[in-house]
Formats: sequence, structure tokens, C-alpha cells
Amino acid sequence: MATMNSESSNNSNTAQTRVPVSSKQPLQTAKSVDTQSVLKRLQSELMALMMSGEEGISAFPEEDNIFCWKGTITGSKDTVFEGTEYKLSLTFPADYPFKPPKVKFETGCFHPNVDVYGNICLDILQDKWSSAYDTRTILLSIQSLLGEPNISSPLNNQAAALWANQEEYRKMVEKLYKPAS
Amino acid sequence: MAVDEPSTPACNLTALDSLSQDSIIEIVQSWDGYCSAAEALLKGSGDFSVGSSELISKVQILCKHGLQSLVQQHFLRMVEEIFESNAVVRFWRHFEPYRNVAALEINNEPQMQKDEIQEVLRKALEEISSDKQHQERCLRVLTMAVHSDSGNKRDVNTQKEPFFDNYKLMVSSVLMTSLPRHFPEVLHWYFKERLEELSTIIEGGEDNEAKFDDVMDVDGIGKLACRSGDMDVDGGHRIKRISENNKLVKNIGTVVYNLRSIGLTSMAEDAYASAIFLLLKAKVQDFAGDDFRNSVLESIKGWIQAVPLQFLHALLAYLGDSTDYASPSSGLKSPLASQPSSCFFGAEAPSEELVRWQLRLEYFAYETLQDLRIAKLFEIIVDYPDSGPAIEDLKLCLEYTGQHAKLVDSFISSLRYRLLTAGASTNDILHQYVSTIKALRTIDPAGVFLEAVGEPIREYLKGRKDTIKCIVTMLTDGTSGGNNMSGSTGDSLLEELNRDEENQENTSVDDNFNTDDKQAWINAQRWEPDPVEADTLKGSRNRRKVDILGMIVSIIGSKDQLINEYRVMLAEKLLNKCDYEIDSEIRTLELLKIHFGESSMQRCEIMLNDLIDSKRTNTNIKATIKQQSQPVLEEHELSMDILSSTIISSNFWPPIQDETLNLPAPVDKLLDDYSERFHQIKTPRKLLWKKNLGTVKLELQFEDKEIQFTVTPLQASIILQFQDEKSWSSKDLAAAVGVPVDVLNRRIGFWISKGVLSESADADANKHIFSLVEGVNDNGKTASNSGIREELMVGDDEGERAVASVEDQLRKEMTVYEKFIMGMLTNFGSMALDRIHNTLKMFCVGDPAYDKSLQQLQSFLSGLVAEEKLELRDGMYVLRK
Repeated sequence: MATMNSESSNNSNTAQTRVPVSSKQPLQTAKSVDTQSVLKRLQSELMALMMSGEEGISAFPEEDNIFCWKGTITGSKDTVFEGTEYKLSLTFPADYPFKPPKVKFETGCFHPNVDVYGNICLDILQDKWSSAYDTRTILLSIQSLLGEPNISSPLNNQAAALWANQEEYRKMVEKLYKPAS
Repeated sequence: MAVDEPSTPACNLTALDSLSQDSIIEIVQSWDGYCSAAEALLKGSGDFSVGSSELISKVQILCKHGLQSLVQQHFLRMVEEIFESNAVVRFWRHFEPYRNVAALEINNEPQMQKDEIQEVLRKALEEISSDKQHQERCLRVLTMAVHSDSGNKRDVNTQKEPFFDNYKLMVSSVLMTSLPRHFPEVLHWYFKERLEELSTIIEGGEDNEAKFDDVMDVDGIGKLACRSGDMDVDGGHRIKRISENNKLVKNIGTVVYNLRSIGLTSMAEDAYASAIFLLLKAKVQDFAGDDFRNSVLESIKGWIQAVPLQFLHALLAYLGDSTDYASPSSGLKSPLASQPSSCFFGAEAPSEELVRWQLRLEYFAYETLQDLRIAKLFEIIVDYPDSGPAIEDLKLCLEYTGQHAKLVDSFISSLRYRLLTAGASTNDILHQYVSTIKALRTIDPAGVFLEAVGEPIREYLKGRKDTIKCIVTMLTDGTSGGNNMSGSTGDSLLEELNRDEENQENTSVDDNFNTDDKQAWINAQRWEPDPVEADTLKGSRNRRKVDILGMIVSIIGSKDQLINEYRVMLAEKLLNKCDYEIDSEIRTLELLKIHFGESSMQRCEIMLNDLIDSKRTNTNIKATIKQQSQPVLEEHELSMDILSSTIISSNFWPPIQDETLNLPAPVDKLLDDYSERFHQIKTPRKLLWKKNLGTVKLELQFEDKEIQFTVTPLQASIILQFQDEKSWSSKDLAAAVGVPVDVLNRRIGFWISKGVLSESADADANKHIFSLVEGVNDNGKTASNSGIREELMVGDDEGERAVASVEDQLRKEMTVYEKFIMGMLTNFGSMALDRIHNTLKMFCVGDPAYDKSLQQLQSFLSGLVAEEKLELRDGMYVLRK
């Protein structure tokens, strides 16, 4: 028993020490360095966003996590979305800005490129992402997407079909619009 | 008569049965005889001895038949009837004219009438007591008659007591029931007058003796003289005064005695007690007055012993119930004669009654003085430290009465009413606050009441914008104007605080050295509980040292703010210095370091070091230039000697206002040369000039005189433009100097006011022409004082400050926060104060990082609410749309 015990504990010890040394630790350090720079990047983005004072777009980190932001965009003037306000959630990946953040509508949005779950079909949030983009440009892109949908690849076919009739579309938007309290 | 018989309790029915006809006749006859004899005796008609012997014989017969209690009762009732219908009615009738004695007092009736009242009271009392004495004699006769058959002396005594008690009770009850309302007033008034008379007599000696204590000595001498019968001239004079006193006391004594004898003891006591208190109150007010520079407690105590106690002693001695020890002859001497100081009575044990009186009087005096002082506490503290004695008095009073709460309440309300108003300058409030702290520290070393009193001041000061500035000025600059209240000695408050601190530390060090067992025991014995009002959360007395600086800093909120303000002020001061004299600043900084710690004053220290370095660099540069053979100066070229620079490490200085400005070419060249030198010496460092800062000493030469000025660089370059051209349009001049026209217009005002330039409007209304005034002595303003150096406090007027003020910095920071707050509220809807605070702390970490307190944030948010940018709903902030 005693030998068995010692053997097994030895084994486990070596296993425990070896595994992190070989694979985990370098990864972790790399990650932590990354995290630092990501934090810095997000912070400066926040500062830039705040100081830009752009009308109609806004975002702010949630209480204790700078990787999760809440965003707000308002429908631009002279579009069917005029006077509406949509909440977004932005989740930044750990390797931001090399990967785009996940952006979703939290408020239901009747839009050809937004599905019922709030997923957005926007090229810069997928394959066209570049690390030169930042939160501000994402928000501006989504805001302009509202007024200029991409009808060719719709997520919401009804909305895409209705888009041609702006008057009807406006009625639909008003009907489905549920502002966040 | 027969009906009465069975009702007598002493009558027993068997005796009634055995009564013979003869004895019944005898009883009836003697009863009739008794009745007439008693009436005659009581009414005082006829011969007393004859009447009494007749009464005795009749009573004896009746007593034989066991009717003594009937006789006694009957007699007593008769006495009562007569007393009520005659003596009492007559007694009250005396006072009928003085129904409105209170009004009489107010109207200040002539002295005659007052004397009259006194006389009337005396007479009336004499009369009624003689009536009473007569009746008592009659009663004694009756008692004698009743008990003569028994012959037992002890029996007489025991029997007599209830009978006489009944009589006394009867007298007082008859008087009380018929008492007119104004009689107590008459009494009160009487005692008041007498006491005043007495006190003036006693104090009359003051004029002769100059000192109050001497009066008591005089009494002592007088007493000795009286005892030994030694009648030298001096002593004789004094004895006369005292015997007068005695006569007066005797008069009063008689009145009190008579009042007592007719059963009005308590009324008499009330009357003279209230008279004494009234007099004492008036005296205390008299002594205290509005002069806070002298302690009055001792003289009040002295007066209590000299006047009311002496009077009471004499009175009690006269009445015979004050002393067991004193024979009647010595009863009238002053009780204080042998002990002039506060050590009361010494070897002679005072009577208990007198000690009680002393305690009552002293308590009353303390309380009165305390109330007076508390009512005037505001003025007292304004006068502090001159009013130190009054504070000491108040402290003693409060220790005695324990009415600290009264002080706190009254002082706070007077503060609210008189100090914490818009009209009071922040400086004054601060000075009063400091004086309050100092004064109350004397009264209450634990600082418990100070906390209560200081709270409203602190709260109020928090609401004032210039508080921090005033505090910093007060702390660091003892000689500056505005503190004419405290009669500044030139020391800054900080230095004073430091001295205090050192003293406190020294004493505490002593404490530590002596902590052997014995000392510990002594300390333990000296321990006193905190006052009841103490807040237990704030630590006990020992730990709660009164920290003036701490209390002042607590007004501001945090020491960082204070330091920041100080830094701005220091920067301003240093930038305006022409010499590198910073000794006083270094001293202040060292003091601040003691209080706030090295690290927090680091930036200020660097600023001072900059100055020291500048001095060195400056001499260094000049020296190297001198070593090189200096080429002959061309015209308009300036020597390096006239320039001295202040080289600052701008990272550590508060933001410095930048203003573009074209300096005259020679000066510019000079600066360039200088910076080149600097670069040579201190490679790779380079100088960047802040051309708008600094001072220029210049001399204007006119045809007939020279005037010196010390001005800002901008003003200097303006006037230098007039060297070549006598007149400029505002637009051209602004371009030449390199500043906007409005700035130019503002700054040029200086030269116009000095009469050097004159302004005239051109045909084009927007264009002003400035031209040099040639004969300056034509201008009355400067004509007489030619050659006199004109001083201008650089940066004197608003908007010309070299350093961005703390408010400006704060405003700038707050705009950043405002954007953040707007951002988070846009996305989160509504947020509570706490959450905004935490979120800012978490995410606003750039430059400037968020470092405000919750209170500051709250006031900022309420500012935004006032600007209608935000709304506050149920404690949640929301955007206003």
C-alpha cells in the first residue's frame, strides 16, 4: 500500500508539474500579455468613444467586465428607423482586436439583416473584419446598416421583401418597436 | 351649656350620674364666671393679674369636674375669634395702601414712600406679635390653671405642647387664609430694599480700601476691635459701619423673627431667598458686564461671601437657630472675617444651614454667569485670545453646573444667525472657526462639544467656493491681509499648529517615560469618564486629541485637494518671483510635510527644487558667457545680465496657461542665446520659453524724467512698440505684439491708466488709436511722483493668472467625467450614485483618472441635474431627453 501510494503520488506530481510546464504556462503568459494589451486597447477605445461625443451611438462596459459592453444606437434621420433606439450587446474576444467582437441586438429589430435573435449579418463583423476597426466604427456601421440594408443576403426575408415599400415598412417598424424601458 | 356637657370626651357618664344638684349649679356658675373672665382677659380690658387670678379660680373649679378639655377648646376658639376679628384685620389693613407694590416699584416712587413701607411692615409686625404675645400669656395662664391641681411639672410640659401647637397652627392658618395677594410682594420688596442697602453699606468700604478682599479684612479688624474693646480712631470708624450693619441686620432679623412667630416662616424665607438671588443675579450681571478680559468668578465668589453670606449668618445668628457654637454676643461677627480667601471658614465649622446657603448661592451664581457667558459666547470667541479669562470662567461654571448642552445649542444658533450668513467673508468664518476650536479646547479638552459646534460651520464652509483657497492662504501665509481679526503676529497658522503639536508630543513623551506602576496608578486615579454627550464611536478621550489642522482639512474633504490648491498657489508665487528667495516657502513646505507626509508633497518639493536649480543654472550660464570675451554690444542688443530664468519641470507643475506673444526682437534674441547656452550646458535638454510668464522691470525715459515699472512681458512688449512709433491702431498693435485684439485692449489699459498712453477713437468706430503721451507730467496722476517705481502685482487681475486655477482644472476633469456619465447612462438607463461612482472608478482610468470622492461626484451630478442634463428619480440618475 505504502509503495503504491508513494508511486501514485509521485506519478501525479510529475504529471502535474510536467503538463503546465510543457504546454500551459507559455500559453498563459502569452495570454496574460495579450489581456493587458486588450484591456488597454478597450480602455482607450472607451475613452475615444466617450470623447468623440458622436450623436446616436454609444457604448459602455458593463459593471465589472470590460469585455462585455452595452451599446445604444438610434435610427438615423430620414430613415424608417428615425426616432427608434436599439440596445446592443458587444462581447469582445480575448484576442481582440485580431478577432471581431460578437455584436447582437438586444432590442428586437425589424431589419433585413437582423434575425429574430438579434444576430446581425454585417461583413465587417465577420470576414471583412480588420483590427483597424474599433467600437466606434462598428457602431457607426450598424447605424448606417439600419438605413441601408443589404437586401441580397437577408436574415429576415419578410423585412427584405417589405423594404421596397418604405411607408409600410415604417408602419411595421413602429408596430414591432419595443423600446427598452 | 348642658348640651355641651355630654359631648366633652373627658366626661364619663357615671360621673354625670353622680352629679348632685349643687355641683351642677357650681359648674354653671363657674362656667359663666370663666367665660366673662376669659373674655375680659383676652380683650385686654381690666387688670391682667386680677383677671388671670379670677380665671384661674374658675378654671380650677371646672377642672375639678373634669371639664378641662372643654375649657381649653372653648378658650382656643375664643382666642381664634378675637385674633381673626381684631389682630388679623388690623394687620392686613396696614398693607392696604400697598396693594400695587409691584407697580410702585416700577414707577420709582420717592424714597419716602419706600421707607414708609418699611416702617409700616415693622410696626404691623410688632403689633401683631404683641397681640400674639398677649394671647400666649393668656394661654399660659389657662394652662397653668388647668394643671395647677395636678402639680406635676413633667405633666404640664407634655400637656402644654399640643395645646400651644394648636394655637400656633391656628394663628398661621388664620393668617394664611386671609392673606392678601400683595403681601408676599411687599415682603419681597422689603427684603430686596434692605439687602441692597446692606450691600451698599458693605461695599461702601470698597472706595476706602480699593480692594474687595480688604473689606473682609476690615471686618476682621473690626471684629477684633469690637472684642477687645480697643477703640483707636481707625477701628472706631469701622466699628461704626459694622454696628450700622448690625442695626440693619437686627431690623431685618426682627422682621423675620416676627414673621416666623406668626407662622409665616416659609413665606419669609422665600421672600429673602428670592431677594438674595435677585440681588446676586444683578451683581453677577454687574460684575460680568461685556468685558471678557478679566475673570470675574473670584470677585463674584468674594461678593457672595462678603454680602449675602454675611447677612445670612448674622440673620441666622440673630434668630438663634444658626449656630450651636457661637454665643449670642459673637453671633453677629462676619463668618468670613478670619478667612478672606475662598478657603471658607477655616477652623471655625460653619453651621450646616450656612453651608447649604453658600452652596445654593454659588450654584446660582455659577449658573447665572454661565448663562450670561453662553449668551455672549460668540463675542467672547471673536475676542479670543483676549477673552481667555472669560473662557476660563465659563469652563469652571460648566464644570460646576454640567450644562454643556446649553452651550452647544445656544452657540450653534448664534453661529447660524451671525456667522454663517452670506454677508460673512470666508476668511472671517475660518478665523472664527479656528478661534472656536481654540476656545472650546480650553473648556473641553476632549473635543466632544467642539465636534457638535464645529459641524454646522464645516457644513457651511463646504458650500463656499473660496474655502479651500482661504484655508490654504491662512495655513501658509500668516502675514497676508484679511486676517485683521486675529491680530496676526505674522506667524502662519501652520507654524502655530506645529508649536502646539510639539507641545502635545512632548507631554505625551513624558507620559511614556513615567509609566512605572506608581505613575500608572496616578493616571488611573486621574481618569475621568467621557462626557455623556461623547460619541463612543469616535474613540475615547485619550485618543481624541484636538487636531485643528485635521478639523480644517475635514472641511475640504481630502488633504489631496488642499495640497493641490497649495500647489497652484505655490506655482503662482514662484513664477512671480524675480529673485530666487524661497526660504519661507521651504519652511512652509517642511511644515506641510510633517502634517501630510513626504510623498504627498513631492510635487511641491520638486517645484521648489526647480527654483534652486534655476538659480544655479542661471549663474552658471551667465558665468560662462562672461568667461568668453563678450563682443561689443550692438545697438539694441541686450546683455545677458538682465535676464534670469526660472526653469521648471513642467510635468510636476500645475498646468500653465499658454499665451502666444511676440517679444521684441532683441529680447527674443536674448532668450534664444540663453536657451542655446542652456542646451550646451545641459545637453540633451532644451529650454522651451513660456514667453507670457515672468516679470519685466523697465524704465521709461521721457524728455524730462524717468519712470520705472514692473510689468508683465505682454505689457512690456506693448509699450516697447511705442519706442519707434508714437501711435498705433489697435489692430496693428495686436498683430505686432502677436495677441488677439481683445486681449490687447484689456492689457493696454494698464498703460492708459498710468497716463503713458492715450486712447482715441478713429473715424472707424471699431478702430482705436493708441498714442504715446509725450509730456507725461501733464497728466496729474504721475506728475508729482516722477522717478518713483511703479509696482504692479503681476497676475493681479482675473484672467491673467499664470497657472490654471484648481477650479479650472476641476472643470476640465469634470467634462471628461460628464461624457462618461452620459455614456453609461445612455446604455444602462438609470444608475444609482454608487454605481456611477464605481463605474467611473473602474473605467475612467486614463488621463485624467477618476479620483473624486462620492460627495464630489454627487455635487457634480446635482450640477448636471440643475443644468437639466440629468434627472434624479428615486435615487437613480437618468438622462433627460
